[in-house]
Amino acid sequence: MTKGLFTPQPGRRAVLGGLGAGLIAGGLPRGAWAQSAPIKLGFQLHRTGIGAGYGRWYERTAQAALKVVNDMGGINGRPVEIVFEDDGTDPKRGAEVVEKLASQAGCDAIFGPLFSHVVIGSAPRAGELKVPYLVCSEGYHVASGMLNRWTLQPGITDVRAQVTSMAPWVMANLGKKVTMVFPDYAFGYDHRDFFTEAVKAQGGEVIAQIAIPPTETSFTRYLPQIPAETEVLYHVMVGPAVLTFVKELGEFYGTGARPQIFGFIDSLEAVDIASPGLEFLEGTHFWEAHNRVKQADAGADEVFYRAAVGVDDNGASISDAADVSTYSHMFSCWETLFTIKAGMEASGYAGPADRQKFVEAIEAMTAMPASQANPQGAKMFNGKTHQVFGHQFISKVEGGKLMRVHQTTMEDGMYPDAVDYSTMTF
Amino acid sequence: MKRVVAAISMTVPGAAAACALPPSVILTLPVGHYIVGAATVVAVTGLTGAMARRLPAARVIEFGGGGPKIAGVTTYLAFAAFLALVGVGWLGPRDPMHNLMTLVFWTGVWIAVPLASMLVGNLWHLINPWTAPVRIARVLLGRSGAAGLARYGMWPAVIGLAGFLWFQIVSLSPDDPAVLATAALTYWTVIFGLAVAEGEDWLDRGEFLTVLFAMLARVSPLWCDGRWHLGWPGSQILTMPALSRAGVAFVTLALAGLTFDGLSETFWWLAVIGENPLEFTGRSAVQGVNTAGLLAVWGLTAAGLLAMIRAGGLASGPVMLSFLAIAAGYHAAHYLVMLLTAGQYTLAALNDPLFRGDMLLGIEPFYVSFGFLADRTVVQVIYGAQFAAILGAHLLAVVLALKLAGPARPWAHLPLTGAMVGYTVLGLWLLSTARGI
Repeated sequence: MTKGLFTPQPGRRAVLGGLGAGLIAGGLPRGAWAQSAPIKLGFQLHRTGIGAGYGRWYERTAQAALKVVNDMGGINGRPVEIVFEDDGTDPKRGAEVVEKLASQAGCDAIFGPLFSHVVIGSAPRAGELKVPYLVCSEGYHVASGMLNRWTLQPGITDVRAQVTSMAPWVMANLGKKVTMVFPDYAFGYDHRDFFTEAVKAQGGEVIAQIAIPPTETSFTRYLPQIPAETEVLYHVMVGPAVLTFVKELGEFYGTGARPQIFGFIDSLEAVDIASPGLEFLEGTHFWEAHNRVKQADAGADEVFYRAAVGVDDNGASISDAADVSTYSHMFSCWETLFTIKAGMEASGYAGPADRQKFVEAIEAMTAMPASQANPQGAKMFNGKTHQVFGHQFISKVEGGKLMRVHQTTMEDGMYPDAVDYSTMTF
Repeated sequence: MKRVVAAISMTVPGAAAACALPPSVILTLPVGHYIVGAATVVAVTGLTGAMARRLPAARVIEFGGGGPKIAGVTTYLAFAAFLALVGVGWLGPRDPMHNLMTLVFWTGVWIAVPLASMLVGNLWHLINPWTAPVRIARVLLGRSGAAGLARYGMWPAVIGLAGFLWFQIVSLSPDDPAVLATAALTYWTVIFGLAVAEGEDWLDRGEFLTVLFAMLARVSPLWCDGRWHLGWPGSQILTMPALSRAGVAFVTLALAGLTFDGLSETFWWLAVIGENPLEFTGRSAVQGVNTAGLLAVWGLTAAGLLAMIRAGGLASGPVMLSFLAIAAGYHAAHYLVMLLTAGQYTLAALNDPLFRGDMLLGIEPFYVSFGFLADRTVVQVIYGAQFAAILGAHLLAVVLALKLAGPARPWAHLPLTGAMVGYTVLGLWLLSTARGI
């Protein structure tokens, strides 16, 4: 199949797509589109700064999705381009990047940022410039009502839903007395507050909350605080010291009795669970947003998505089995791009004058079935809170691989609306 | 901004993403043993060297002619390439890891050139963007005299290096292609003007990249100055004239820049300045405090090293030259990982600059991969290389200091040896401690 100026070999094709090749020349069916001005989307990328590890996979996934969208004919018959700008994972630069993308580059909409403090620092500018701002952040800040009507999160569920939805299965299968170990700052408090509330609603009890100062790099002195009657140890340590944490936890329990252990894959995104030093995690459970190991019942959409992004059956790069992806987060970029396409097509988007109609079209969305556009799974969009809900997964580490043992219902993670953006002015 | 964000984070639940820096393999390695071992080796070397009657001679072999004088041509090509890169910085992809201006400067010029120069001699001499245009301009203007900049010695280079380190470590977006291109072109123009006025030889004293890369290249065992030479690393340093006050300021500033570049990312520093190491606010929030930190580290480095040298009654001008070895080892160790990560983006962009599938370097398109940083064995090898660079550099510095100091009582070297042991520990600690950025 010849497209454009050259025909890449099959093996190279995926890589070129991943590199964004074909944006400039070749790869685009030039003939029919020579007349159409492209749809320009801005991507606020964490290329440098603390988000760079996620940014690398976000860019790769966005490029893969872009290629699929253009191969399908683009949006409203127009080719799509993405302009990537680095925000340095910095809120002040984020606001500047929003400005650059909206005003200088003339982007129709902006998507992509992940880190909460950056989203919070950038979203107001998007509101002022009246540019649709679709974040891939899993933060509760969108649905909390803190942001504005131009900001939406249709591609990834939020941490409140994630944490809340874990409680029913954990209570029913692992135990009712929970000890939580979490870092002593906002992220840890989210888990502490949402899970404690959800556990109580399921008839369980959080018997200890061990908050660890973020500056700590060794945890042995905190572990004796875990009460002996703990049935489930819930851990959400993040950052450079996670491997040390697992090692010390393993040394603490040794080969003796230990409670059931439940964690979030955020602790170990981009890390192989089978790595030396993580043996203690065997038999423990993790929340995943998207199972990094291809499960036995994986459908065609999952297979297609993995091939497009260049990820193998273990969730690592096809070119390097040690380069594990941020599988539970990066699908957000893919699904958000397809939501942008759906929104622009539903609203007949022709240009920036239609930005408001575009946001309203997304607000009108409700059920999103599992499909090539939504490989993580079916979703339900809440047009009032601008937040999407979906399935969460619980996996067990078996033989060094995360195997799914449970899929939550969407209702498991739902919570009362805190805001109705659709009644606000633009 | 930082206070506003912190306030929001504390009052609104859910105002924090479940993401942070990836887990670090190095924190699980027993680096403490390595550090103690290195400190012991440096200390013992210093003590035995001080007590030795004679130190090994630095043998040098000379061979061959100097080779063709190609600098006029190569620096002209470098100048043209520089202008092209500035254009790419302004007009090319906005993503810094896809833009050759960012990649060629930060990976190529700042890391690859000095590292290669430490092995094969001063390469900057052949590829700096000033020599040819300055020569041509002076000929066209009929200018052959100087403008009196000589009296400032190396101070302009000190100012240049200070500004550059601030740009690199503290400024908001040194990787941004357009910001970098504008900064580079502005700096180039200022230096061009001064060098046309003063003569191209002024670059060797007044332009900080020229000064720094020449200094770092002095550890090379291979060099050419009319004839080719092969000798022990550091032999060149022994023949250098004593550093002037500006030279001492320059060397201590270079060391401080390397130290602070590492220090500013550590859990330790973040805790000192009140930042959450698991959720760093961003460069924009710490510009004031990091400017102060950079200046403080410079002050401490200069004051501390001079005090240790003088405590032994040694002369700082010649002895401070030994720290060029430490600067070289630090530079190599500190930037090795970046060479392996950003270096991949650089290769990809050089191979396929227009992102349409070209293979100008003959490399098949590849995904940039950081998987090696999660591999325990690879991380151990990388740390081993960094360890070797730091330890080797400090041992070399100890021997050089003993030779440069000239005749002195053995105990005169104790304070300086102590400083070098401290620097060894600091350097290895910086490479292995927890980082929040």
